[in-house]
Order: sequence, then C-alpha cells, then structure tokens
Amino acid sequence: MPAERRSLRSNSKSDTSSSANGEKARSNSQASSSNKDKSASGRGAANKAKSAATKKSTNNASNSGMGDRDQPHANGSDLMENGVNGSEDIEMGEDSAGAPTSSFNASKDRQGDEKMTVVVPPSKGSRLPGNQGKDGDVAMHGAEDEDAHKSEAEVDPRAKAVQGLSRSAPFTLPAKGIGLELLMMRKYVHADIKTNFSLLERAVSHFDPRFTLRVLRSISSMRKHITSDVLAQVIVETYPASSLTASFLLQAIDQPGAFESALASSQMEVDSEKNKASSKEILPEVDTYLSILVQIHLYDTKNIHKGANFSTSLIERLRTLNRRTLDSLAARVYFYYSLFFEQMAPLPPSPAAAVTSIRQPLLAALRTAVLRKDVDTQATVMTLLLRNYLLTSHISQADLLISHNRFPASASNNQIARYLYYLGRIRAIQLQYTDAHGHLIGATRKSPTSHSARGFYQASHKLLVVVELLMGDIPDRGIFRQAALERAMHPYFLLVQAVSVGDLDGFVNIVNTYSSTFRKDDTYTLILRLRQNVIKTGIRMMSLSYSRISLRDICLRLGLDSEESAEYIVAKAIRDGVIEATLDHEKGFMKSKEVGDIYATREPGEAFHERIRACLGLHDESVKAMRFPMNQHRLELKSAQEARERERELAKEIQEGDMDDEDAGGDFDAI
Amino acid sequence: MPGDSDLKSLVSELNNALNRKDLDTTTNLLSRAKRSLLQHNALIPNPSLSPELTSLARQVLELGALASIRQTDAPTFTRYYQQLQPFYDLERDAGAPGEKSSQPTVDIKTSQRSKITGLYLLLLLSMGDSTGFHTVLEGLVEEASLKGKSVEDDPYIKYPVELERSLMEGSYDKVWRETKSERVPSEDFGLFSNVLVGTIRSEIADCSEKAYPSLPISNAKNLLFLESEGAVIEFAQQRGWVLRDGRIYFPVEPEATRSEKDILMASGTVIENTIGYARELETIV
Repeated sequence: MPAERRSLRSNSKSDTSSSANGEKARSNSQASSSNKDKSASGRGAANKAKSAATKKSTNNASNSGMGDRDQPHANGSDLMENGVNGSEDIEMGEDSAGAPTSSFNASKDRQGDEKMTVVVPPSKGSRLPGNQGKDGDVAMHGAEDEDAHKSEAEVDPRAKAVQGLSRSAPFTLPAKGIGLELLMMRKYVHADIKTNFSLLERAVSHFDPRFTLRVLRSISSMRKHITSDVLAQVIVETYPASSLTASFLLQAIDQPGAFESALASSQMEVDSEKNKASSKEILPEVDTYLSILVQIHLYDTKNIHKGANFSTSLIERLRTLNRRTLDSLAARVYFYYSLFFEQMAPLPPSPAAAVTSIRQPLLAALRTAVLRKDVDTQATVMTLLLRNYLLTSHISQADLLISHNRFPASASNNQIARYLYYLGRIRAIQLQYTDAHGHLIGATRKSPTSHSARGFYQASHKLLVVVELLMGDIPDRGIFRQAALERAMHPYFLLVQAVSVGDLDGFVNIVNTYSSTFRKDDTYTLILRLRQNVIKTGIRMMSLSYSRISLRDICLRLGLDSEESAEYIVAKAIRDGVIEATLDHEKGFMKSKEVGDIYATREPGEAFHERIRACLGLHDESVKAMRFPMNQHRLELKSAQEARERERELAKEIQEGDMDDEDAGGDFDAI
Repeated sequence: MPGDSDLKSLVSELNNALNRKDLDTTTNLLSRAKRSLLQHNALIPNPSLSPELTSLARQVLELGALASIRQTDAPTFTRYYQQLQPFYDLERDAGAPGEKSSQPTVDIKTSQRSKITGLYLLLLLSMGDSTGFHTVLEGLVEEASLKGKSVEDDPYIKYPVELERSLMEGSYDKVWRETKSERVPSEDFGLFSNVLVGTIRSEIADCSEKAYPSLPISNAKNLLFLESEGAVIEFAQQRGWVLRDGRIYFPVEPEATRSEKDILMASGTVIENTIGYARELETIV
C-alpha cells in the first residue's frame, strides 16, 4: 500500500519546485495543525506557508547540493516522511494537502512516536514497518536475535517502497537480476543517507530535534542494506581526503584505502564528483550519524570487539562536544556502546563481566548529561546503567542509583518504558509489590506492541504476572490470549492456574518442570516466593467451601507436613485477613464466619475511586502531551491585531463612508 | 615481605583465641591484625597483592566477623561483611565455570564465605529486614544457577532460606524445630535462635489473638513453645490477656464502636474524593 502512495507522489517529480512547494506548505500546515479548533489562526498560517514555500524551493535546490539524480528522490522522501511526521501532532485537521494519506499514517504510527501518551490501542497487523529501529531497540536482550530475523522480513517491503518511490519504472520489472538489484539497493541506501544529511543540517539550523528523530527512525529501514562499501562511499564523498574523522571512520569499517580507490574511479562515478565540488564544513551531527551507522554495521556483522573499541573512542570524541542538537544522536551512540560490551566475554551474569568496565564511563556520561540538561542522553544512560547493574545482580547499587537520580520526565516514551521495567524489577525483588506493580503496569502500557519489540513486551508481562500473583491477585486471563504472548507465557499461565486453585503439588511440579525457563526470565526467585500465596489461596478456597473443616483435612489437602503447621498457617491467614474464620484448638477444626456482603463494605467505593483516578491521570497526561508549535501564539496575536486593525479601518471607513454619503448627499443636494 | 610471617602468626593466634572463646584477646589481636593489614595496604584486594596476603587478609576479616557475631555486635558484623565483599567477588570470578581468571588464584579453600553469608542472611532475617534479605539472596541464586546448582545445596545458606520460607508461610513449628541446637549448621548460627524464637512467639501471639476466641493454658504452652504454665501466665499478662478458669480469653475489640468509627472514616474519605472529582471536573470543563 505505501508503495502505491509513494509512487503516486513521485509521478509529479518532473515538477520539482511544485513538489517542494507542496511539501513545505504541508509541513507548515502540519505545524499549525495542532490548533485546528482555533480557526482564527488558520488563515495566518496558510499565508505564511505560501510565502515560505517560494523561499524553500530555492533553498532546497542550493542546500542539498546533490546531483539531479538525487533531487526528486530527496523531495519524494521528504514528502513521505512528512506524512509520517505528521502523526507526531495529535490533531491533523489542517493538513489539507496530504490529509487522506497522512492521517491514515498517523493512526498507525502513533506508537513509535516520541510524544505518545494518548493510549490508542492500535490494531496489530496494521503497523508501518518504518518504526522498526525504535522498537527494535526497546527489545530486551534475549529477543534481540529473534527481532533481527523478523526485521529482515519486514524491512523488505519498505525498501521496495523506497525504490518504488524514486524510480518506479526499473523496479517493477522483476527480470532485472539480483546483481543489479543489489547495486540499485546500494544506490538508494546511499541516497537515503545523503537525504538524512540534509535533514540533520536542517535540524541544526532550525534547532528542531524532530528532524534528528526522523533521521534516527530511518536507520532501521536501511539497516539491512548497510555495507562497508556503501559507508565508505558516503564517507569519501562527504569528507575531504585529509579529514581525521573520515580516516577514523574508514579505519573502523576496514576500508582505509577508500579515498585512493575513490580517486581512481572518480571518472566513473558521476555524482561523487559533484559532491566533492560542494565541500563545506561538516557538522558534528553528520559525523555522529555516520558513526552510528558504522556502529550498527559492526554490530550486525558481529564485529563485537572492534565495535567496542570504536565506540570507546567515539565516546571520547563525543564528550568534547557540547551541542544540544547532538543529544539524541549521542544517546544512540551510548546505547550501541553498551550493547557491544554486553556481548563481550566474560558474559554478564559473571561478576567480572565486560559490562562492569563501562560503568565508570557511563556514570561520567550521566553526570555530564545532567549538567548539560541533555535529557536524551540522561535517560538513555540511566536505563543502560540500571540494566548493567541488574545483569550482574547488583541490586543494591541499582537501587542507590535510582534514589540519587531523578529520571527526566520528558524522556522519550521508549526510555520511560524501559526505566519503569527496571524499576519494577528492583522493587519486586525488594518485596515492594505495590510499587513494582504500578511501575510494571506503566511499562507494559508504554511498551510498543509491534513484532519487533515483542521481547520487551513479553518480558514486562511475565514480570507483571508474577508480581500480580505475589500481591495475591489473579491476572486477567485475557493477557494470555494475546497472540504476541500466548506461547511465551504458557508456563506462566500454568503457574497462574495452580496458584488460583491453591494446588500446592501442581505448583511445585510446574516450578520444577519450567525452572530453566523461569531462571532464564529472571523470575525464578520471585516465583519461589509464591509458595505461601498458593497456600493462602488454598486455605481461602476451603474456608469458602466448608463452614467447618478439621485441621487434619486442611493439612492433607494442602500437602503440609503436620497438623501443627496447618494450625499456625491458618492462624496466620486469619491474622493477615485472608479468611474470616476462627480456630478451635481443642477439637482441632477451623470454623468459617459468615461472609458478609461485599457491597456493604468500602471496597466498591475504593475500586471506583482508583478507576476515576486513573482516568483523571490519563487526561492530565494527554493534556501534557499536546504539542504546540513555537511562536504560534505570536502569529495568532498578529492576526488578531490585524483583524482588529481591519475592523478599525472598516469602522473608520464606515464612518467616513457615512460622512461621504452625507457629503455626497450634501453635494447632491447642492447640485 | 617482612610482615607476612608476622601476619600469619597473628591469624593462627586469632584462630586459637576464637576457639577458646577468649573474646577480649580476640579483639586485641584483631586490631593488631587490621593495623598490619593496613600497612600492607591489603584491606581491599588489589591485583598487586600476593595471593597469599589476600587470603590472609580475608581470613582476618572473617575471623573478625565471627568474633563480632559472638559478641552479638550486629553493626560491627555488618561492617566486616561489607569489607569482605570485594574478596568474595574475587572468589566468584575464580569459581565461575568456563573461564580461568588471569590472576594467580587465591586460595579459596580456607574461605568461610558461605558461612559468613549465611550468618548475614540470618542477621537480616532476625532484624526483620526482608528487603535486604531478598536482595542478597537474589545475587546468590543467580550465582548458583550459573554454576548449575541451587542455593539450597549449601547447608549454611539453606538454613536461613528455609527459615525465611517457613516464617513467611506461617509454619512456626518448623522454625521452632530448626532452631533446636542439633539442627543448626554451626554453633554461630545458634546465637540467633533466641532472637528468632522471640520473633515467632510474638507472631504466634498476634495470630492467636485473632484466630482463637479462647484457649486453655496447657494448650497455649505448647503453641507458644513455652516451658511451663507459669511462663504462659507471665507471657499472657505481658500481652494483656485475660486469664479465667484455666483458659486464656483474648481481648475482643468492641465491634460497635469500631464500625461507628469506620463509618466516620468512610464518610470522610467519600467526601474528600467527591470534592476532588468536582475540582478535577472543573479544571477539565
């Protein structure tokens, strides 16, 4: 479907300037779209869009400095990404130019969005594959490989769509052969990277992080097609041969001789020559972007040690730069940095793991990020540190980190989800189940439900189910029916069944059967704590079904060691308020009290209160998540002022008109 | 190194003193040993230390921990435990399967790691610090599963773990049986028995108040693990229970006043909530 839409757009590529116009106008109107209900501003915005559009079309041509070949493509992909980007705004009202397509996109893309707090449960199959990278990164350790496989399958349509976009003609013919396809693929990835450069430049000049985020989002789609050749080509074209950065990057991808070979073949490569001509100052953002691509390439090709070394020196370089437009890129660099070290031997659970060696740099990065008010890096590094501590089960350290740091509230959704998950884990280990439950609920709700982030989704749900059981609640059966969870959660489903009927033997059996699974999920110790819950549920069931039962029978049914134990356990259950009953020691039985009407108690009111509070919280969060374009109020003021002036003029004219009339009348009379 | 032999003799003296239960001498020796460690810069393990010295340092600290437990000095014990952690981390490296640590291996045979850790767990348990207990345990479980074992394989660790489980479950009779001297894995663990029995007794008393309307004194003796009926009477008086006709009557909270108070409380919260909703609604509209 996206392919159609895009090729439709690219039909108009002959008219470059008009397409640029359209794009700019749309991006403008999209910017103003968030206040659609304030129709007063609509006119002003449209006016501005028009005036800006002409400026833009010239700007675009000179700015990108790309060959003719790239030009239509750049516009095309801008268009498309505008469509995607449009979804970042909550309302789409004014988006007249691309309304049908982009609003469609919006509903699908909500999830990956940075500012998404409105809970719109999206239908699963309908996700745009474009969000891969974001989501993929959320994925937990265990699911990483699995994700890679999935994304392979998923990226393809997208890549096809991109191809279809810029030149639909050659690619609709399947007979072209694989070699050519690869070649073309290279060219398109190459062109994409170039497009992203211009986006980065725009991000810097407009000081708008959204452009950078757009660039980062596009990484996932090209991830599968990055080869060291493509990277080398881009680097050679971007940097002058003397650049230190260039040689640093080329070293990392094993192509130190790329400049020489490029020079030799420069006669053949038409566009590389063109780019050389327009050599100018290269932004650190571009450097970092290319470095991220190199990191990803090294990671995907399993060059772990090389990647780790490269990342270490990369971070050294980053630390010297203090640019706010670099933040989100830097955060991504740290992410891959830590990923590399996690894969290095000795592997994590051992206390001498390689990951422990990066705690120092990460802590330093956290300190710097806080001082620079660099929210992106701060959030990312904090989650990385927590993960790091938990990997080697240094729980008290992780707890200390949390208590001494405040997680930035404006961090991106995915980081918040991760942070909540780790927090939930720590609290669960510390027996603070209520806290843990709250955090985990947040994590599961914020986690993307797409295929690629399934690992995270599953991990957080597993933990949530165990914590709910520990709290004495029985998780909703619906959780286990979700397609994304059904298989992974099966052991947990059996566990829940055992706990909910109070079957102690069954519980022990399940724990033994699936102990390796539970250990792998890091829920084993938590599950062992469930034993008492099973017993309690068992007692409750018996107290509900019998008005009087002997301790001996209780002991037999629960599989306890002795009657004495049973008596103490029942007494404790009564004390903890699990059951309403009394014990008779001499005759050795438990007598249940009459169960009161629950609606006569405060419980329904409390449940109601909780729900109302949740709704109000949701409302508050959605209000907070609304975004308004900068300086829009000034525009509004201006238009209001204009309107007032017009009114005044009108009034004046009317007055004057009256006078004229009178005058005229007078004249007339005079005549 | 000149001080090596000196330290060695100190350690053996310490061992002797501790075996003789001569705690005053032990304290003296300990402070001397620690000073000598400080001179060797061996209080924290570092790669430059010879493995021999590292293991000596660990032994000194372990003996110190044991001595402080016998003096029932919990803060000092905790301090020793924390100081021992870096040494034990080294040990975990060496013990991890599949990789040989590059450093010359420290002699880990003399280590009393599991004993000290078990004692620490028991201390946390007797102080009712279940958060700390589970945090430490989580690390141990992880480590054990790495080696393909479970924590219960270690008698010193198994003891506190099982105690905790029984306590949480409410099988107080199990706890009681475990604290008997023959079940305790080492005499140092026995030091906690009194504390634990005290804990379970008050737990049982709490439960009984709620669970039984009344109880014959003779049964209460068994339930509370007390030696004589006199002790029961004393205990009952401490808790303010009424003794009549050879039975204990537990104080029943008067229902009527409670429910009245309940209603007052409930209406208070209801009013509060409703006002809250009204305010929120106003801000929304």
